[in-house]
Amino acid sequence: MRLVIFNGSPRGKKSNTRILMDHFSRGFMQTGTHTVEVVYLNRTRETDRHLELFKQVDQVILAFPLYTDAMPGIVKHFIEALQPYTQNRENPALGFVVQSGFPEPVHSRPLACFLEKLTRRLGCAHTGTVIRGGVEGVRIQPPWMTRKLFSHFHNLGKDFGVNGCFNKEIIDKLTPREKLSRSKIMFYRIGSWFGLTNLYWNMMLKKNNSFENRFAHPFRD
Amino acid sequence: MDIVILNGNPDTGKYSLDAYLEDLGKALKADKHRVKILNLRDMEIKFCTGCWSCWWGPTPGECVFRDESALVCRDYINSDLVVMASPVLMGFTSAVLKKVQDKLIPLLHPYIEIVNGECHHKKRYDRYPAVGLILERDRGTDDEDVRLISRMFQRFTLNLRTRLVFSIETAQSVQEVKDAIGDI
Repeated sequence: MRLVIFNGSPRGKKSNTRILMDHFSRGFMQTGTHTVEVVYLNRTRETDRHLELFKQVDQVILAFPLYTDAMPGIVKHFIEALQPYTQNRENPALGFVVQSGFPEPVHSRPLACFLEKLTRRLGCAHTGTVIRGGVEGVRIQPPWMTRKLFSHFHNLGKDFGVNGCFNKEIIDKLTPREKLSRSKIMFYRIGSWFGLTNLYWNMMLKKNNSFENRFAHPFRD
Repeated sequence: MDIVILNGNPDTGKYSLDAYLEDLGKALKADKHRVKILNLRDMEIKFCTGCWSCWWGPTPGECVFRDESALVCRDYINSDLVVMASPVLMGFTSAVLKKVQDKLIPLLHPYIEIVNGECHHKKRYDRYPAVGLILERDRGTDDEDVRLISRMFQRFTLNLRTRLVFSIETAQSVQEVKDAIGDI
């Protein structure tokens, strides 16, 4: 199988999307004589090269973070560039990985419907859409917190290498609940009283000497 | 009412959205609204890089890349209604508009709070304008596309701590937009 992963994170190589997809790729490569190439869509000047690759391969995965309840601007830019390939018989099969900072998949669901429609518009076979919330922390979390998540992505890659699509059971494991459970909501509420939910933000604000100005509203006339 | 229209039309040769928005602007001014149209394609705005400096950098609430997104943020937050307008391209509003939507996050606070059982960002400002949507269909646009866009904008406005007050197509008259604004 010849696979191209289009990484649509504005952070490019420093993205959480890359961390997840690296685990996926390792699993994928274990299962046969495959090739996988990764393309970073934040290089918006290279769109022509990106389109060439889209034409050449048989499997494409578009992976990106949820930005303001949809795809990031750079990903929409790429999707618009695909317009000439609408209903092209030689198009690759297409699947998606959408990860969000918000923990709940509910934020990403309308976008997932749009992505499924996009495969129909292009005439691509849809290999599935993986939704995963609560990913922002993976860069800094200790290994015991990410072990399960990374192993799911590894297995997702392995299964993709064999079957050419995302395994539905693993997709379900990655989205155990649509919304937060009551106990999680309580945890957030109590945590926020004690300032625990904002520890990371506060640490970064203090590092930049901007903690005192954190509630600034510079644009109010 | 102070109304800001964000025109996300990338191509005036292909889409007639600009003329529609001109007419709308005139009609709203005749009703004593203050109207400003921002043609986003002509503005110097970089794509969001996801650096989050607007949340924790030296100047919280502002993008560290000093581009014209600051003008959009200022007009946005000081208005009563923001109309987002775009042709439908490949089933969604334009990349030009999406780029600007991404650059609105400095208007929110990084802290998370639970609203109706969901995580949302805390408000940075005391109030946020209502949002309306105007869509121009392209050749390949169907009813399902328009429904999906409305659903995505409902989520978007929820996270921007406001609500989507109308979703209208340019095939409908300017009067219908005026009526929808009158109902707010």
